[in-house]
Amino acid sequence: MSSAGTGLASQTSATRIPESQDNPRPNTKLQVLVVEDNANDATLMLHGLSREGFDLSTTVVQTAAQFRQRLKETLPDIILADYNLGEWTGVEALEILRRSDLDIPVVMVTGALGDVAAVQCIKQGATDYVLKDGLARLPGAIRHALSEKQERTLRHQVEKDLARKVDELARSNADLEQFAYVASHDLQEPLRMVVAYTQLLSERYRGKLDENADKFLGYATEGAMRMQVLIQDLLSFSRVGRNGFKCVSVDCNAVVDEILQSLATAIQESGAVVNHAALPTVWVDRTQVTQIFQNLIANAVKFRGKEPPVISVRAEKANQQWLFEVSDNGIGVAPENAENIFVIFQRLHTRAEYAGNGIGLAICKKIIERYGGKIWIESQPGSGSTFKFTLPAPAPDDKSGVKP
Amino acid sequence: MKSVPELLIVDDSPADVGLVREALAGSAHHPQINSVEDGEEALTFLDRRKKYINALRPDLIILDLNLPRRDGQAVLAAIKAAPALCRIPVVIFSTSQLRKDILRSYELGANCYVSKPGNLKDFFLAIQAIEEFWFGFVNLPPRGE
Amino acid sequence: MNPTEVDILLVDDSQEDVDLTLHALRSDNLANRIFVAHDGEEALDFLFCTGPHANRSFDHPPKLVLLDLKLPKVDGMQVLEQVKGDPRTRIIPVVLLTSSREERDRVSGYNLGVNSYLQKPVAFDDFRKMVKLAGLYWLLTNQPPVTNGAIAAVKEGQ
Repeated sequence: MSSAGTGLASQTSATRIPESQDNPRPNTKLQVLVVEDNANDATLMLHGLSREGFDLSTTVVQTAAQFRQRLKETLPDIILADYNLGEWTGVEALEILRRSDLDIPVVMVTGALGDVAAVQCIKQGATDYVLKDGLARLPGAIRHALSEKQERTLRHQVEKDLARKVDELARSNADLEQFAYVASHDLQEPLRMVVAYTQLLSERYRGKLDENADKFLGYATEGAMRMQVLIQDLLSFSRVGRNGFKCVSVDCNAVVDEILQSLATAIQESGAVVNHAALPTVWVDRTQVTQIFQNLIANAVKFRGKEPPVISVRAEKANQQWLFEVSDNGIGVAPENAENIFVIFQRLHTRAEYAGNGIGLAICKKIIERYGGKIWIESQPGSGSTFKFTLPAPAPDDKSGVKP
Repeated sequence: MKSVPELLIVDDSPADVGLVREALAGSAHHPQINSVEDGEEALTFLDRRKKYINALRPDLIILDLNLPRRDGQAVLAAIKAAPALCRIPVVIFSTSQLRKDILRSYELGANCYVSKPGNLKDFFLAIQAIEEFWFGFVNLPPRGE
Repeated sequence: MNPTEVDILLVDDSQEDVDLTLHALRSDNLANRIFVAHDGEEALDFLFCTGPHANRSFDHPPKLVLLDLKLPKVDGMQVLEQVKGDPRTRIIPVVLLTSSREERDRVSGYNLGVNSYLQKPVAFDDFRKMVKLAGLYWLLTNQPPVTNGAIAAVKEGQ
């Protein structure tokens, strides 16, 4: 590297290799860009560095125009800039760098610098500053700046990866739900035909073909109708995740009362007694909270033992949540099944024993988890069950109605 | 003397049309049932063009929404916009229970909207209720030219 | 009665016919929420949420309007014309239930977009039977256009 007084033009001492900030070349020289209008000062700076074991490839620029041009051609690993540059200042260089959105560490190497100017440099993005009569500090400052830059780059990469993974996961979930919705929706039409015509055949030809025909048609019809219900259940289940929902103030007492009305026949037939303590008002989607109570209460009536069902619904405040309980005196659930009763389509009994597809609890769980709550069962076979679940109790002024 | 009521069914599923015929097989009004499978065909029938040149104007139209070659709502709009056809009662009979489909149908002038039930018994009951109301109780508009 | 939750608007100035109709509709537990208007003006106030019915909202229309033709103040045909002529009320099912046997009434009614036209039978029994069947048809078989603010939601989407 040589210099020849003032009028120094941009100089490089190594071949220019196009590069990008994201692909630093390994095992090669450190690309240094020096912004200095005094050739001697430039020499001094760099001399010190080679002695310290840095393997450098340097370029020196003097003017703002040269600086901009150089940045367009090759991106340095680090910039050493003086503060006083004759017609311009190092702060302007920092400004240029900032505007071009390049993340290149800058160490100011400067004569005496007032505190104000020093702070200004740091504020404008300089990593550090070293005084020209204290060049011993320069290697350390450079190493520090470079290592900081490396950490930053690594962190950005990790963040980007994470964001991409979250994105993929969300998209994959959305796809699955869309699939479940479309499949169950489009499956219903041809199935409706099968159900209608097997029923028609059954009715029209009952007793007119041989006895096997009646039986076969019976099985076919039953199978088709069961499939219809299964698909409707699947559709309900997939809808939980799919629709947006609107949170409003819901009085749980009113919800439970409505449900008791709609279950009136089953309650009467089983002699069930359902009572509920004073239940709170919660901030939820009304349809969904109705689904939760509907499924739990209907199950409590259905899975009864020999005695008429006695069911109670309670709630208490626990931390920032409402803890609801629906307990019954029914057949209970063995502890080893406590988790998989919440799995979709899991049934613990044959169809002859208890009707149903095993979707009610899966729907409850999906809804409750969407609100950030939990649902679980405490039960022993033969001694009834208590289903407990939590729903968030919003702060009194938090009525944004935004999806959790 | 009451003439035989004319019923036009617009539905692309021959299976569903078959069910309607079955449901009405024992009707006291003995309606004459014609069916077409798509929206364009429906309008050709109603305009009495091509092979439908001698067709009688229907007294009631049962219209599905999911049709090829011009969907149900487009057919509905065309019927209600035509001076010769707009008085004919149109019953939308569709599996769709979407709020927007129901609302849009009423906006376009559908006389009523009935959901196609999924099981045989309810399907028959719905069709029979439609037929009984419109052919047994309603004063239909004069059939027109 | 909560003005927002009316199933049927019955518009008839004959008290006798009103009593018969109410009896027929309530017997099957079809509709408990029936509002009776005795003239066309009140019917319009009710449906357009004006005058004494200013606290009603277009979001909660009745599922069915049973409308007689011969009414004081504003006659049935004019009520029909206004209801079917306004986008906010056009979708409400309106059934003319009238003693008129005039073909031109039938034609005008259907031209204006009435959902169906029923002639009041002379015999009480037949009248009751017709009202019951009409109630069953329009409240159970039929899907009404609006529940719970659907109008507002759809209009927003438009």
